[in-house]
Amino acid sequence: MAPRADLLPGTLDLLILKGVSMGTLHGYGVLLRIEQITGGALLVEQGALYPALARLEHKGFLDSEWGVSDNNRKAKFYSLTAAGRRALKQETDDWQKLATAVAAALAARPAEA
Amino acid sequence: MLARLRSWTTAVFRRRHLEREMADEMQAHLELRTEHWRAQGLSPEEARRRARLEFGAAARYQEECREARGVRLVDEMRADIRYALRQMRRAPLFSAVAITTFALAIGANTAIFSLVEAVLLKSLPVKHPHELLELQWRHRHYGRGFVSWYFHGGDARRFEAKDRVFWSFSFPIFRHLRERTTTFSDVVAFTGIVRMSVTTGSGAELAMGQLVSGNFFHGLGVETILGRTLQPGDDTLVAPTVAVLGHDFWQRAFGGDPSVVGRVVYLNTAPVTVVGVAPRGFQGVWSGRGTDLWLPVVQHRLIDFPPAPPDALENPACWWVRVMARLRPGVDPETARVEAETLVHRYIAEAQVPKEEYDLPRLALDDGGRGTDTARWMFATPLRVMGAATGAILLVACANIAGLLLMRGAARQREIAMRSALGAARWRLVRQLLTESTLLAAIGGGLGVLIAYGLRRVLPQVLRPDGNPLELDMEPRAFLLVFSTLACLLTGFACGLVPALRATRAGVQPVVTRTSVGRVESPRGLWGGTTLVAVQVAVSVVLVVAGTLFVRTMLNLRTQAFGFRPEKRLVFQMDAWLAGYDGERLSDFYQQAIERLTAVPGVRTVSCSEFGIPAQGLGRYTVRALGHNGTIREAAGHVHVIAPRYFEAMGIAFHAGRDIDWADREGAPRVAVVNEAFARRFFGAAPPLGRRFEIVGNESVEVVGLVGNVKFEQVREDPPPTFYLPYRQDRRHSMTFVVRTEGDPRHFVAPLRATLGALDPNVPLYGVNTQEQQIEAAIQQSRLFAHLVSSAAVLALLLACLGTYGTLAYSVARRTSEIGVRAALGATPPQVVRMVLRESLAPVLVGLAIGLLAALAGGHLLHAMLFGVQPTDPATLTAATLLVVASALVAAWLPSYRASCVPPIAALRCE
Repeated sequence: MAPRADLLPGTLDLLILKGVSMGTLHGYGVLLRIEQITGGALLVEQGALYPALARLEHKGFLDSEWGVSDNNRKAKFYSLTAAGRRALKQETDDWQKLATAVAAALAARPAEA
Repeated sequence: MLARLRSWTTAVFRRRHLEREMADEMQAHLELRTEHWRAQGLSPEEARRRARLEFGAAARYQEECREARGVRLVDEMRADIRYALRQMRRAPLFSAVAITTFALAIGANTAIFSLVEAVLLKSLPVKHPHELLELQWRHRHYGRGFVSWYFHGGDARRFEAKDRVFWSFSFPIFRHLRERTTTFSDVVAFTGIVRMSVTTGSGAELAMGQLVSGNFFHGLGVETILGRTLQPGDDTLVAPTVAVLGHDFWQRAFGGDPSVVGRVVYLNTAPVTVVGVAPRGFQGVWSGRGTDLWLPVVQHRLIDFPPAPPDALENPACWWVRVMARLRPGVDPETARVEAETLVHRYIAEAQVPKEEYDLPRLALDDGGRGTDTARWMFATPLRVMGAATGAILLVACANIAGLLLMRGAARQREIAMRSALGAARWRLVRQLLTESTLLAAIGGGLGVLIAYGLRRVLPQVLRPDGNPLELDMEPRAFLLVFSTLACLLTGFACGLVPALRATRAGVQPVVTRTSVGRVESPRGLWGGTTLVAVQVAVSVVLVVAGTLFVRTMLNLRTQAFGFRPEKRLVFQMDAWLAGYDGERLSDFYQQAIERLTAVPGVRTVSCSEFGIPAQGLGRYTVRALGHNGTIREAAGHVHVIAPRYFEAMGIAFHAGRDIDWADREGAPRVAVVNEAFARRFFGAAPPLGRRFEIVGNESVEVVGLVGNVKFEQVREDPPPTFYLPYRQDRRHSMTFVVRTEGDPRHFVAPLRATLGALDPNVPLYGVNTQEQQIEAAIQQSRLFAHLVSSAAVLALLLACLGTYGTLAYSVARRTSEIGVRAALGATPPQVVRMVLRESLAPVLVGLAIGLLAALAGGHLLHAMLFGVQPTDPATLTAATLLVVASALVAAWLPSYRASCVPPIAALRCE
C-alpha cells in the first residue's frame, strides 16, 4: 500500500464537493470516489466523512435524497446544489492560488532571494 | 441561509427521523465496506472488524454530525431546561417567590406599555397617517384684534415661551385655506365631541357626536363599510341633514342592522338620515374618545354647538373648528407652514379688517397622524409616571431576584464546584444558571402577560380626562408580545448574570476540600448582596415618597378642590329645548322648575346654571373693561350663565353687592356677578361694583356682585377670571340644576323626579348625581394614581424587605461558626444582635440616602400632578424615611435575633 498523506484541514470538504460534482453519490461512494481521484494518496478516517457531509448539507452545498444503490441497498444519495457548485469553484480557485504560491515559495533558491 | 434554517428545523423538530437516518447511513457504509473486504477474501469477522476499524468511533462522528447541524446547542438547552425545572421543583418556595415577583413586575410593565402604545404611539386607521398635520397657532394675547370667541386652546403650560397655543380656527379661515392651499392635498375641519340624544326606533340613546367638514372622510381616506361617507355636498345649508354612524354605536344602538342606511333617526328631536357606517376601529381624530356619529358642520345649530354665536359658520371672529391637513407628497412641511401662515395673515388683514393694533398669530404644524395631540398631551405625564413606577418595580424585582439567586448560587457552590471538577467549562455552567433564571422569568412573564391581558379592559378606565373613560383599542398586538418576551429574557438575563458569574468564580479546590461552607465571610464576599439591598431600598424610597405625595394630593383634592361646598347637594341636567321649549318659554320653564323644586319639603335652595362643576370644554370670551387707571383692559374671561341664588345653592362665598335676581330678565339692564380673579384682572385693587365691561361685540354689562373664586374644569389650575350672567339675559338650551337638601341628597331623587314629571313629563332629566360623587368622578384619576403608585411603593418596600431579610439571613447562616466563636469568647446575645444589625443597616442607609436624593432631584417631574403638596415636602420625606427604616429594621431583626441564639457549640459543629 502506498504511503498516505494526512489531510490538510478544510481539504476534506473540498474533496467531497469535487467528488459529488462528478455525479450523485451515496456516502460510501463518496469515499470510493475520493480514493479513486486522489489515487488513494490521501488518508481519511472513514467516519469523518459523515460530519463533513452533514456540514455541507447544512450549509446548503449538498442536497440529499434516499434511494437504492447498485446492489439494491437503501442509501442516502448526495448531489451538488447550485450554491455548492459556486463554492466548489471558489474553493478550487483559492486552493490553486495557495498551491501555486506555496510551490513557488518552496521552489525559491537562496540566489534568487 | 434558508438551507441552514431548513436543515436546522428538520434537525430540531424531526429529531427522531434525523437520528434514524444518521444511524442507517453509517450502518450502510459499514456493510458495504464489510462486503468490500469479504470480496478481498477476508473472513466475515475479519472483514467486519476491518470495516469498523477504518470507520473510527461512530458515536463521536454522530455527535459531530449533530453539531454540524446545529443540534447540539438545542440538545444542551433542552438538558439545561430539564435540569432547571428539576431545580425549581426542589426549591418550591424560592421558585414561587421568584415567579410571582416576575409575574407582577412583567405584568405591570406589559400592561402599562400596552397603554402607552394605545395612547401615544398608535397611528389613526386612516390612509397614509404620516402625511396628516394638525394646524395650531401661537399668540400672546388670545388673538386680540381678530378673535372674539375661541374654543380650543389658550394653554401656556406646555411651552416655555409666553405664547399661548390655540387649536381653533374660524370656519371662514378654514374655507379660505382649503380653497387656496397648494401644499396640502386636502384640508379638513372638525370640532370637539358633543353629547346628544339620538332617538332610534326602540328608544333614546345618549351619543357622542362630532361635527366635521364635508370632505372629512375623503380627506382622511376613510371609507364606510355600509352606505356612503359624508360628502362636500352634505355640508351646505340646503342639503338634507345626514349623519354617518360609528361602528360601535351602530352595533350598540342598532344591533349591527345593515338596513340602518337610509333610516331616519331623531337627533335632539330633529330628523337626520343615516347615510353610512364607519369601519370598525375608526373613531375619528380624537384619540381615546369614541365618536358615535359624524354630522356635517353646517348642522351645528342642531346640536347647539358651539355654545356660542349662532353665526359661527360665517363669523370670522369666532374661532372654534380644528383643522387637519394632508401634506402633498414631496412638499417640505416648512413650505406648507409658511404658505398656510401667509394665507391666514392675509385673510385676517383683508377679510376681517381689524380695527386696532394686533399681533399676527404664528402658525405651527403638529403631527396629526396619531390623532389630535390632546389625549397624548394630557396623558404623557401620567403615563410617564406610571411607566416609571412600574419600571421601578421591575428594577426592584430584578435586584430582589438577583439577590435570591446570589444566595442560591452560594448554597449550590458545592454542586457547582463538583460539576466544574468533573470537567464542565465555566461558560457552560454560567449558561446553565442563566437558563434557570431565564426560565423563572419566562414562566413569571407568561403569567404576567395573562395578568396584563386581564387588565386590558380596566386600564383605560385609569385615564379619565373628564370622567369618561378613554376608548382605546387595547386588543393585544404582536409587538406587545415581542415586548414582554424581550422583557422576560432581559430580566432573566440581567438578574441571573451576576449571580451566575459569582457562583462559578470560586475555584474547584477550596470548596470541595472544605467540609462546610466558608468560615469567615469577608465583607467583599457579600458585596453583591449588599449592593442589591441598597438598590432596592433606594428605589423603594423613591416610590414611597411618590406614593405618599399622590395620596396627599388625593386627600387635598377631595377636601379643598373647587371652591364650593359639595356636601348635601344633588345635581342633574334638564334640557327643555329638546322637548320643544324655546325663547322666553324656555326661560320660564326653568324658572317654574326652580320654584316647584324649592317647595319640596326638605329642600333648602334650588338653582340652575349652564354647566355643572366640574365642567368640560368651557368657552372663553374676550372681555374688554375700563381699567382702574383709565386704561382699557382686554383679556379672556370664563362665562357662566346662572339662575338666582346659585351661589347660595352651591355654597360659593358671596363677598359684596347683590345676587342675580329674577328681575334681571329679558329687556332689563344687563348685569353680571364677577369673581375675585376677574375683579383683580380687570379692575385691579379698585372696588368692582358698579363698573362696566363688555364682551367683545356685545353690549356692556354692569357688575353688581362679587363672589369667591371657583375652579370649573381642572382642580389644579388657578381659578379663572369668571363672570356670571343671568340666564334670562343670555339663554342656554340645557341647564344643570343644583338642589341643596337638608338630609342625604339621595333620598330626594324620587320626589324631585315626581315634581318635575308633574311639570312636564316630556322634558328629559339626566345625569342625576350627588355633587360629592361628581367630584369623586373628577378626581378619580388622581385617586387611581394614588392607589397605583402607593401599591407600587408597598410592593417595592415588601420586595426590599424580603431582599434585606434574605441577604442577611444568608450571611448569618454563613457566619454561624464565626458567631459561635464570638459567643464562646464571651459576646452576649445583645452584642451579637447589635453587630449584625449594624452591618446590615449600612447598605439600607446608603440606599436611603441615594433614594432621598433621587426623590428630591426627580420631584419636580411630579409637580404638575400634585395638588396642595410640594414634591420636597419635609413631612412626606420624613415619613417615607421612617417607614423605610422601620421596615428594614423588621427585616433585619429576625436574622440578627437568630444569630444571637447561636450556641458556642455550633462553632465546633460547623467544622
